[in-house]
Amino acid sequence: MSDARNRRDGLALAGALPDRTLIAMIAAMAFLASLTLAGALGARSLSLRWAAGAAGLVTVQVPQPDNPASAPPSETATGKTRAEAALALLGTLPETMSVRRLSATELDTLLRPWLGVSGTAALPLPAVIEVHMHPGTHLDAGQETALRDVAPGTLIERNDEWRGRLAGLAGSLELCAALALAAVSFVAVAVTGMATRLGLGVRRDAVGILHGLGAADGYIAGRFGTRLGALGLAGGLAGVICGFPVLTLLYGITAPLYGGDATLTASVDQVRTLILGGLPRPVLIGLGIIPLIAMCLGWSTARIIVRLWLRRLP
Amino acid sequence: MIYARNLNWSHGTRRRGTSGEPTLSGVTFSVPAGGFRWLLGPSGAGKSSLLRLLHLESLPRAGELTILGTQVSPVPPRRAILSGLRRRIGMVHQHPRLMPGLSVADNVALPLRLIRTPESTVREEVGAILEWVGLSERAEALPGALSGGEQQRVAIARAVVPRPALILADEPTNAQEDTQALRIVGMLRELSTMGTTVIIASHNETLIRRFEAPALILSSGRLTEASGV
Repeated sequence: MSDARNRRDGLALAGALPDRTLIAMIAAMAFLASLTLAGALGARSLSLRWAAGAAGLVTVQVPQPDNPASAPPSETATGKTRAEAALALLGTLPETMSVRRLSATELDTLLRPWLGVSGTAALPLPAVIEVHMHPGTHLDAGQETALRDVAPGTLIERNDEWRGRLAGLAGSLELCAALALAAVSFVAVAVTGMATRLGLGVRRDAVGILHGLGAADGYIAGRFGTRLGALGLAGGLAGVICGFPVLTLLYGITAPLYGGDATLTASVDQVRTLILGGLPRPVLIGLGIIPLIAMCLGWSTARIIVRLWLRRLP
Repeated sequence: MIYARNLNWSHGTRRRGTSGEPTLSGVTFSVPAGGFRWLLGPSGAGKSSLLRLLHLESLPRAGELTILGTQVSPVPPRRAILSGLRRRIGMVHQHPRLMPGLSVADNVALPLRLIRTPESTVREEVGAILEWVGLSERAEALPGALSGGEQQRVAIARAVVPRPALILADEPTNAQEDTQALRIVGMLRELSTMGTTVIIASHNETLIRRFEAPALILSSGRLTEASGV
């Protein structure tokens, strides 16, 4: 007597289901899911990083910074340039945590993409002052007026306004990713459902014989569920394995955005290191979960389809 | 035991409705535990339909039906109970429904494996039953390599091996030689004396005369004569 379980009940699902096609399609879905998931997690991480950087940050631009302060409101501005007066005024405010004027080198670096290497020397540049406020505080209207009194034309940019916009953008990206994952899951379920119905069609007689011998619905559904679950797991693993190097490369390219070094021109050793451990932990966890989700979808979809199909029999 | 009262059944499904005249109409009979009955009637009288109904391959449209102490009509029990009931019924169809990819032994072992019988017991029981139907030497053959009569004997062995409480057989000796047919019906008769209820649909007059027993006679879907009602 044959010992293999799939040979014992006559269902022989290995020969009844389009295994390779199904694995390929689930792998494609898992590949898309891994890219989408990584994109969503990346957007979230980027948003959090930028938002943290912008929290409580106010940028003050003082035009003609070396001119004398125009209307000193107090003794701190007397005999000082506009930039010095603005720095002094900001430094005395209880809401400010730190006040720092960007150096000429920092300004050069900041403007180099737009003005080139020698561009900054030809232009009258404002002084840029970076102010870190205590959490929950901001410059009020009176303080802004006082600043503009000592340095007319001063621009004040409250960066925390960007935080809301960044959070909104990240939220939108996450919603899009969730919709994309839902669509991918739906397609995976549909493909699994079609494969299950195909298998039921091929093994209609065998299922009928087993049903007649008293096999419970759960037994027959379980046999299909186990097979489709295994195929889902195989497809999920294949898709994630295909997605891994792509994601590693993308993270290497975008590393500077996250505060790391670009690895686009990395050596073979660096690439190997990246593949083995270059991806952030949340992405690695997400990639690990995708094959399990594919398995669960395959298992549960097949069981539901088979149970529904069996309802036509008493 | 079986208790049937005013059973009606016709082709089609409950959802899609019936098609044409009912195949079975007002069928009433009962068979006690351990009873042996011939099911007789001309072709198209509804013998196979009645056996399939008793095997729970479909449910009556109307009427009362109780099989082995479980009422299945007018209010059908849960599906799990129907499955359990089917496991206590051995059915031999007119055309043997064997798994083409399984060996003779694996086909016969199916009902035992479905109830998770230990493998050593399965081998023992299957060996004994194949000996009984004279197919010990064909245990590893695939059904496709067997003659029609041999396939029918495999189906009989599969129906009998789990020692069911009820055996239904639709022309089980059609493709058998006379000696083999006598042997098979003799063994089924013996099982009935041990408490198994047996109903056999047949046209074989030799067998019917040889094994005298009460008969259910169907004509145009109606039971014209029934013993033990």
